[in-house]
Amino acid sequence: MLSTLKKFQIHFLLLAVIIILGILAYLQSGWDLVQNGFVQGIKILWRELPLLAAAFLTAGFLQALVKKEFINRWLGAEAGIKGILLACLGGGLIPGGPYAYYPIASALLKSGAGLGVLIAFVSAKNLWSVSRLPLEFAILGTTITIRRYLITFLIPPLMGIFAERMFGKRIKNIRENVDL
Amino acid sequence: MNSATIILWCIAGSLFLYSWKEGTGTVKQGGLLTWKTTKQNALLLVLAFIIVGFVTVLSPDELVKTWIGPNSGWRGILLAGFIGMMLPGGPYVVFPLIAILFDAGAGLASVITIITSWSTQSLLTLSFELPFMGWRFTVIRWSMGLMIPLLAGAAALLIWG
Repeated sequence: MLSTLKKFQIHFLLLAVIIILGILAYLQSGWDLVQNGFVQGIKILWRELPLLAAAFLTAGFLQALVKKEFINRWLGAEAGIKGILLACLGGGLIPGGPYAYYPIASALLKSGAGLGVLIAFVSAKNLWSVSRLPLEFAILGTTITIRRYLITFLIPPLMGIFAERMFGKRIKNIRENVDL
Repeated sequence: MNSATIILWCIAGSLFLYSWKEGTGTVKQGGLLTWKTTKQNALLLVLAFIIVGFVTVLSPDELVKTWIGPNSGWRGILLAGFIGMMLPGGPYVVFPLIAILFDAGAGLASVITIITSWSTQSLLTLSFELPFMGWRFTVIRWSMGLMIPLLAGAAALLIWG
């Protein structure tokens, strides 16, 4: 019983969030909005299926292809700054939303990448994202976009370095989390 | 099909070809790992997308506009950090909203705080991070990043006023 609970803890957490949001929707405008929420969610999922399929294939084949030596040398905890910078570059270049880059990050985690590398990858995706850049320029204008980039430019590598220093040794426990 | 999908399919395609070159064993293993990840996460993805759907229909746009308004200074930054976490959706949804806020008089520092907070601390993104990375990673990354939008806003305020 307890192990089942543990295995599905994230399912339960997401379910709880759905119930809370459902109640909010009901209070806001009744059952119609609750139904609408479900339908919208499934619609967005349907629309993103091609991207999801590509992300899962990338994650799967990445895991099959990358050799332990490559991970250890370039992306493991021992790779140091070199690995963190490489991860920043990868994160900045990879396109797609969280349902695209988290499966890939998860594949790297399972293959042996270090914590600093993974944090740098996710942070660079969030802050450097090259694919988002044209949109940011077009909608928010040059001044905001350039200043925002300048101010947050060093954050991904710094986050990676700090994360590795502070929590790098816990990577085994972190990896256990995803090996369900 | 958008460009992100096309680029990711190109990456997936090249990885597939590369593993083909390595031999059928690698192709098989890649397929197996893909299937395993998909099977493990299918239900979680459905749940996560239902959350996305609810957040979309609950439309917090109006709420955000009334909250931040022509606010500026330190209080604006704090508020912006909080609002950034709550903003749902991708850049197509969020950037136009932030542009509206800026036109309505929100300061540059607040705008930079919102963009940074939405990028790194988005609560909606956690519904994808938790299933794929586990709660330990999520807690470490999210709590480490908590101060960053505020620091980015404060830096912007100090440099550009």
